[in-house]
Amino acid sequence: MVLTRMGDGAFVKMTESEVRKEVEAGVEEAVKKAKCSPLTEDDIKRLIEIICEPRKFVSVERGNELVLTYDSQPLKFTRLGLPIAMPQILQTYERGLMADTLEMAYVHYSAKPVKMIFPEEQYVVAETLLTTTPALLYGVMPNMPMYTKPDGPCENASELLPKGLIKEAQEAQLEAADLLERDLLLLGEAMYEAGADGLDLDTTAAGGDAEFYACLRAIEKLKERYPNMSIEVGMAGEFVLGFHGSLEYKGERLAGMYPHDQCRMIAKAGGNIAGPAINTNTRKSFPWNLARAVTMCKYAAEVSPIPVHANVGMGVGGVPMQITPPIDCVSRASTAMAEIGKMDGL
Amino acid sequence: MIDEKLLEEAKQSVLDGDKELAAKLARQGLDAGVDPVEFIEKGFVPGIMEVGDLFESGEIFLPEVMMAADAVKEAVGILNEAIEASGKKRGGAAKVVLATVEADLHDIGKGIVASLMVANGFEVIDLGRDVPSQKIVDTAIEEGADIIGTSALLTTTMTHQKEIEELLKEKGLKGKIKTMVGGAPVTERWQKKIGADGFGENAADAVRLVKELMGKKTN
Repeated sequence: MVLTRMGDGAFVKMTESEVRKEVEAGVEEAVKKAKCSPLTEDDIKRLIEIICEPRKFVSVERGNELVLTYDSQPLKFTRLGLPIAMPQILQTYERGLMADTLEMAYVHYSAKPVKMIFPEEQYVVAETLLTTTPALLYGVMPNMPMYTKPDGPCENASELLPKGLIKEAQEAQLEAADLLERDLLLLGEAMYEAGADGLDLDTTAAGGDAEFYACLRAIEKLKERYPNMSIEVGMAGEFVLGFHGSLEYKGERLAGMYPHDQCRMIAKAGGNIAGPAINTNTRKSFPWNLARAVTMCKYAAEVSPIPVHANVGMGVGGVPMQITPPIDCVSRASTAMAEIGKMDGL
Repeated sequence: MIDEKLLEEAKQSVLDGDKELAAKLARQGLDAGVDPVEFIEKGFVPGIMEVGDLFESGEIFLPEVMMAADAVKEAVGILNEAIEASGKKRGGAAKVVLATVEADLHDIGKGIVASLMVANGFEVIDLGRDVPSQKIVDTAIEEGADIIGTSALLTTTMTHQKEIEELLKEKGLKGKIKTMVGGAPVTERWQKKIGADGFGENAADAVRLVKELMGKKTN
């Protein structure tokens, strides 16, 4: 029997043929939802091997290692209550945890509050750069809802839509998108001028298609001004929510885009790395979720003109939705994303 | 027996979000002497059900869902008047109190759930975000709600969903007012652990759950 998990982290035992059925169903679901290519039979066999491997921790064969980029590195330590300053946390990542890349981030992690204190953040970036060597990105969540009531000046589409005020909801989103775009430009410029190698937009499009639109426009403008700036775009979910519903970027409707199209759009805007985030269904098994996530990501990597770093963590990339993501699943998901999904990084 | 063509046109008017056409068809049906209850159930309801499926599969988006909801509302309003005039009755729509729990400021998911519920004809009282458990329960009692639906995005705030169960038990309302939970860290296991009546994985799932819970209501 194979000891595996459900999407909520609960242990479950399956026979190898049951694992296969789950994997095949996960692939089928990905193809149906994202309209992407399925995994090959060889891919499925390898995925089953990875899932059924009796060892707790599974890793890639030598030579298949991937570069890792991160989201909100400093916050991981802050949340543990460790009284360490941001630059020292990044030094720990570099020297203690052998991180390939670094990401500086403010504790709130949303663009709007960072705007208020960006000179302080520039100082922290500059200070960290003096004592670290890997590429350093500055990370923020675009978090467009921060610009809507009650947190911001724009009307809240979440409240307008249930009232049937569609046009008003769309206008409010465009207004918020405009404010977000301005803040992303401000922060991108500020951090790049302070020496950061680039920007990481994390949980992009959490506020829907208008948020994605604002991010793409900001990326385009930043790259016009700073062609060598690196921009990573991590997505919020596998699917761009159609809150506005009809926004287009360079002639393509953003609502409803799945990872492969998201990656293409990020590349069109000038982004350097695309980070798809495939949601875990907590009612389904880990094999089902992982097969689904790898299928979508593999196709995204095939289609994407820029490197793809899949999100693999709590509730995304096949990993169960648990407060502490279980290492048996995280290591299997990472291995599968590298060897089957052909990711450029995680 | 209602003409199949008329039923199909009614369904299509919902799918197209065409409220003028939906209203016209409702009147046309009444003029032809159709049973308004049957016309709603077999013409307009299948339309909004299909809209829900299309939303779930990512083929249409929230503004289109709301336009479809508007079309249904318009037609059902006209047909309901005829139902009342005839003295017949149609099953009441679910009344749902929705909120994002206390200390949690995330309301996008809850907003989508609210939109889809309204589109399906449920009466939704949306209390917004960061709502204390006591206020949620009090509102449900005052409004005579059938269901309380709560959302939590944080592992640190989802415990308020358990608090709501306890408040309902204290007031002897457990089972009378059904509870449903959702949100990123919330799972079916959590729902069972705290004793909530249902768990919705996403907005479309939440709509299905309301219908299921209404069937199980005990009062």
